[in-house]
Formats: sequence, C-alpha cells, structure tokens
Amino acid sequence: MIRTIEVLFVIIIISGAFIAVSFFTVLPPPSQVSPINLRRLSFTTLQTLDSSYDLSKAAFTDDDPVLWGNLQVALSASLPPNVIYNLTVYDVNSADGQVYNFSKSMSNAQSLGITNDASTYAVASSNVSFNFTPEKIGAQGNGGTLYILNCSDANGWWITGYTAQSLAQDLYNQLSPYFVNTVMVQNTSQLGQILNGTPLQGENVQNAVVINTYGEAVPIPSAYCKAPYSTDSYACYSYYLGQRVNLYNWTWSSIVGYPFYYVSNTATFSGAQNSWGIYGMQMTGQGGSRGFLEGLNNQAYASNTNAITDSASRQVTLTQNVAGLCNYYGIYPSTYQTATRALSNSTLAGYNLKVGLNIFNPSGDYLAGAIYNHYAAGSSNISGSLLALGLTRTPDVRVTGLSLLSYYQPRLYASEYTAEGTSRVVILQLGLLGSG
Amino acid sequence: MASAALDHMISLIIFMAAIMIFIGLFSNTMQTGLAYERHNALSTKTSDLLDTILLNPGLPDNWGQSDTSVVGLGLQDPDFNQYKLSSSACMRLASSTQTPIYYPRTASYYSNVTGGFGGYMLASNAKCLNSSTASKLLGINGTYGFQLTLSPTITVSITKISSGQPAQFTVSAVGTGYPLANAPFSYSLVQVKQDANSIPSYTVTNGVGVVDSIGSAQLSFPINGENQVYALIVYTYLDGLKGIGYYLQNPQSSTKNVVPLIDSFQNRNVTLVHSDSVGQPSASPSYSLLSYNASFVILTEEYTLRQVALDQPSAFGSVYNSGSGQNFSSITLPDSDGILIVTCKGTAGQYGLVLMSWGLGSLAFPLTFGGNPAGQEWVTTDLRQVTIGGIAYQAKLELWNLAYTGSG
Repeated sequence: MIRTIEVLFVIIIISGAFIAVSFFTVLPPPSQVSPINLRRLSFTTLQTLDSSYDLSKAAFTDDDPVLWGNLQVALSASLPPNVIYNLTVYDVNSADGQVYNFSKSMSNAQSLGITNDASTYAVASSNVSFNFTPEKIGAQGNGGTLYILNCSDANGWWITGYTAQSLAQDLYNQLSPYFVNTVMVQNTSQLGQILNGTPLQGENVQNAVVINTYGEAVPIPSAYCKAPYSTDSYACYSYYLGQRVNLYNWTWSSIVGYPFYYVSNTATFSGAQNSWGIYGMQMTGQGGSRGFLEGLNNQAYASNTNAITDSASRQVTLTQNVAGLCNYYGIYPSTYQTATRALSNSTLAGYNLKVGLNIFNPSGDYLAGAIYNHYAAGSSNISGSLLALGLTRTPDVRVTGLSLLSYYQPRLYASEYTAEGTSRVVILQLGLLGSG
Repeated sequence: MASAALDHMISLIIFMAAIMIFIGLFSNTMQTGLAYERHNALSTKTSDLLDTILLNPGLPDNWGQSDTSVVGLGLQDPDFNQYKLSSSACMRLASSTQTPIYYPRTASYYSNVTGGFGGYMLASNAKCLNSSTASKLLGINGTYGFQLTLSPTITVSITKISSGQPAQFTVSAVGTGYPLANAPFSYSLVQVKQDANSIPSYTVTNGVGVVDSIGSAQLSFPINGENQVYALIVYTYLDGLKGIGYYLQNPQSSTKNVVPLIDSFQNRNVTLVHSDSVGQPSASPSYSLLSYNASFVILTEEYTLRQVALDQPSAFGSVYNSGSGQNFSSITLPDSDGILIVTCKGTAGQYGLVLMSWGLGSLAFPLTFGGNPAGQEWVTTDLRQVTIGGIAYQAKLELWNLAYTGSG
C-alpha cells in the first residue's frame, strides 16, 4: 500500500511539474509567432511619404494644419487597416543641452498593443544645404575604390535578421562619401570580373576595399565552381581569393563570424545546403580561412583544417583609439561586444601578418577584431590586408564602417555651420490591432 | 508477502500509466514549441527573402529590358536605390492568377495582367519569368513556396453614374486603410474622333480637381456616355502617394477590337492583332478589317499626358482576321514607361479603343506572381511600401515551407 501511495505522490509531483512548465511555456499569439516586419514597413512608409519631400515640409511646419492633415491622410491611407501608428517629430538641436526636442506628434490610437516596432528617418530643412566634405580615401594615391558585395545570386550566413542587400545598402550609405568610387557588386559574375582585375565602372581595382556582406559565406562565381577551386570543399577558392587580395593589395573585410566558412552561389548550389538548411551554399569549413591566408601569403596551397579561432564567448571592448573616433565619424556602435570567433593572434603570425589596427582590446592571445596587414618576407610594403571581425551574430555593420574609417582615418572638412534647428528626426511607430 | 507484491504491482502499473500520460502531455507541449520555432524562423525568412527581391536589381541588372534569361532575381530599379522597383522588371513576371491568352498564329501564350476592361498588358510567356524559375534563382526551390503580390496602394476607381449626355462619373480614391481624403487629382479624357476618316484619331481633354473628405469627386463631360468611345484616366497624389485609375467605354455594339501583344522587352516590340484572332479555340475566321491608330503617351510631372511620336509607318494601318492579307502589325515603343493608346475603326463604322500599359505602374496594374498558398500548413506574410514608376505600391510576400505541406 505504501508504494501505491508513494506513486501517487510521484504523480502529484510530476503533475505539479507539468503545470509549472505549462505555465511558463505559454506560446505567444500567432501575430507574434510570425509578425509582419513592422520596422521595415515603417521605414518604407516614411520613404514613400517623403518621395516628393512632403514629409520633410510637414516636419518643419508644425503649425500648418493643412500639411499635417494631408500627412495624416496619406499615412492612414498607406497602411493596412489593422496597423496603428504614432508619428513623432523631434527637432535636432543641442542649444539647450538636449539633442532631441519634441516637436509634434500624431497617432490614431491610444496604445500600440504589445506588437509594435519603429524606425527613424532624418529630414533636413529645404532652407539649408549641408556642406560636408570628407577626404576621399585613396584620392592622393592609387586606389580609392570600395567594393560592396551585393550579389543577388548568393545567400548569407550568420547575418540572420538581415539580408546581404540591406547590409550592403547600409554600408553604402555609411562609407560611400569617404571613397573615390563605391561599387555595388551586384552578382557573382561581377565578382568574377573584379577578381580578374576588370573594373566594373571604370574604377581602380588596385588597393580597393572589399566588404563581404554575406557573413561567414563568400559569394562564388559559377565559373569558379569547378576544379581546382572546388578542391577541399572550395578551400582552394578561398586560397585564390587570398592570392587576389595579395595581387591587388585589397583590404578584405569579413563583417562577422568565422571568415570563409562557406561559399555561396544560388544557381550552382541550388540543390546543396550548408548543413543548416540554407540552400545555395556549401560548407568549406575551417580550411577556408587557412586557404585564404596561404593565398595571401603567396605560399603554395596545402590543405590545413586547423582552426584559427576558438568558440569561447568573450566580452570585448573597443580600443581607446577606435572609441575616440566614434565621435569624429558620428558612428556609435556599442562599446561592448560579444565575440565567439576571435582569431588567434599567434596562429596568424605564421602568415607574415601584422596587426595594423586593433578594433577591440585583445583577450589573451585572441583578437575579436583587427585589421591584419600582410608584409612579404623582407618587404616593408603592405601586400593585402584582412579585416576580421570575429563577433557573434548578428552583425552590426557600424562596427565594420568604424573599423575601416579608424584604419584609414580620412579627415572631415566640415563647413562652418551654426544654424540651429535645421534637422529633424521623424519616428514612425507601428503596432498591430488585436495583437494583445 | 502477497499484499506487498500486489502493492508493488499496482504501484508499478499506476506509475507506468502515469509516465505514459505525462510523456504524451510533454510531447504535445514540445511539439507546439518546435512548431513555434519553425514558424518564427519562417517569418524571418520571409522578411529576408522580400528584401532580397526588392533591394537588388537582379542579374543582368537590366533584365527587365532584355529578352535573355534571368540569372539572378531582383526587382530594384538599377538606376535608383532603396525600394524603388523597376517597372520593366515587374512586367517580365508572369501572372499566376490570370489565365494566359493564346495566340494561334504563333502558337504562343501570353501572360495576362490587366486592371480591368480595355486595359492590357499581355506579355509573351516565353519571355516572362515564371515562378518555378524564380524559386531556383532565389535558392528556395523545393524548400519554400512563395507568392509575391504587387498591389497599388491607392485604388482609383471610376464609375459612370449617368446615361446619355452629359456623361457623369464618380471618382473614388481609396488607400489600403483609409480614403485619400482631400487629395488633388488630374484627369485626361481620351475621346475617339468618330468622323469620316478611315483611321480614327483622338483628342485629349485635361483637367484637375480635388476629392472630398471621403475620397470621392464627380466629373461631368458634355459627351454622350454610351455612344462615344473614350477613356478617362485619373491620377491622384498626396504626400508621395500616387495612384492611377481608368475607365474605358466601348459601344456595346462593337465586338471587334485591336489587341496589343508584347513580343519583345528588349526591342520594345508590340504586335497588334485582331481580337478575333486571339484565343483558343480561335474565334470566327470570317473576314473583318480594323483600321487602327497607335500612339504612345507618358505621364508628365504636371500629371498630364504627353504624346510621344511613334515615327514609324506601322503606327497607322489595319489588321485583318483572315487567311490572307496583313493579319497583324508590329510597332516599336519608345524607351520609357507609358501608355499605348490604340484606336480602331471597323468597316461597318464601329469604333474601338484599348489601353496598354508599358511598365507595370503606368496603369497601376496589380500583379500576383508565384505559387498558391491555399492549403499550406503555415503561411507567413511580410509587407513593404514600394514605388513602381512613381506609383505607390505595396509588395507583399507570402511564404510557406514545402516540407510541411498540408494541414497539420
């Protein structure tokens, strides 16, 4: 009898556990499981409203009920009926010590439910023309080209939540003023052209900066999806990339994670996946980075799958030098970042690499972010560089932009500009009805 | 001893039963959790895929203006950035909801995109991109199904509210969530001259107005609304939102018309054929002649129509539906978005008028491209505001996982 009672006690305990687990594992409502991306909807709505500069006009004319009435009508008309909004305009003005000062707001609901998101959009007064003249990187020498990989026929990895295209667009907006030419490489075929030294828009291929927006994956042209590039799961393609970086003295920028871990071409690898369910991609593995470094060092290719990073999670901080330049360039990523693919400094030393700039303070032997310069033995000239940001996903491309600007340090020639209240920030917050 | 054994057995049975029940219960909770993770990942994929389609111009980047096969799918206008889509690239997407039109002379099918009676955008299926190819280009073939819908944000509808003369119309401008209250609009009345000339010409009357607080306005013209052949095209605009709508009147007695078929995006070739020669099975082969006058108009910044000369002999002529003679005619359009206006006249004096949109946004045609989400286990949706040829559109992507097809 006692055992039966014990079992009943066990059942009561398990029941209690089940009830407790059920209590804490309440699933969210469907609108939160598969929500509309309200942030992008909000941003594209603001862009549409400002396509004829009407939003800018209204933002600078708080006291014109007609303009604001039209804006409210257009906003209501452009959003689906189940989307509620709150549009707020802030004056950007540091005169009284507060940068953002509330200017005007309008909304069609008292609250925005539990599912809401917002985006910001900066508008400038039509009465003012900003005169911001940055020094062009490479303008005094042979270079000055920024290539941003924006290939339509490749998939990214470890850029979850973003697309390579949206990252490319952000980087373009952030960095193009600082380069003589900024070229969006729209497909892998164009990537193949620049690898062969052929300019796409008459730009200078030599000494360019190449930003790979695909995270741990690298786009590969179809023409390279064969031997010898396919050797060792395409580690030889990475080797070839390293050789090209050396030849053209490029600065190759890896924005997140383990560099050269996958290759991607959605047409050629349409039936292949990276072992995580992303099709159009093939895993190269740890040999990719080794291949790249061998190519960069202009040495013979030898298969080497030893890791150049470890997987330890490290909390790292921006170096004082880089943190100080945040204000100069107006780019403010978080000072604290998490790295899970920090590169081993001692390993990299075997490839004639020297640290040109530490982005983050070292964590023992590991560097979470640095620009490595390659010097051929006995030479004092740089022959190719690698910016490796071994941060964990998802990427913050502001770190990439700040790293490159901190390395090249282009000067800013700002015009004397004292007018107040000539910039405004519009924030459109959207929520879904019935989401609560 | 027997009591202890019985107690042992009973307790064991109860315990095993309880364990089985709890395994079932926990399994249910875990499955629900896994389903949540799966659906959440699908939502992220939807957003990613939509940006991939909208934020790159594809390969080649001018594929909307070529007849070559597409290597990379993207709809962004290569001359702009952000969410401005290429009108011509959108034209090359084969509609998945409207039935294709068959043209027996060339044994070809044409993708059918239209915004209503008398408005055409029939593009050769052989030159269009189908959803199967698009899936492969997007790298989701066999893993995800998708449906991309491009719908005009502002619906401009025109309704005739009178009979006889004068012809009166109600114009309504409504957004996806609210009427476009107090929005200004401009209109163009394209009126076919019904005179003795064998080749019919037309006149254009322009005007402006403002819709009221419910997005409605009335227009009146001193013409006979039933006997006359005309088209009323209305543009409305407010704070960056631009919409367009049209109303087309052909006499009920006239059953013959000219049908424009897009045969080349690269050369901008449009084949004009007799309406009786289109369809399957082919319509009556009886002799019929239509004299036509083709012209091209673009929308100016002042929201009026400006005619662009089609300096080619085939801009005027006639088409037959017979075994002999000229049963089709080919014209080349200018290198810009606009509207092809074709007026025609039959041997018995019947008149006709058709509009063809060159560029998806020129007449604000909606387009649905891709598979059918009906019956899928879980379909996620994402939405962006875009512009196509200056007209405000909403791009909606529906995505589902093919590995979990069926109700579940």
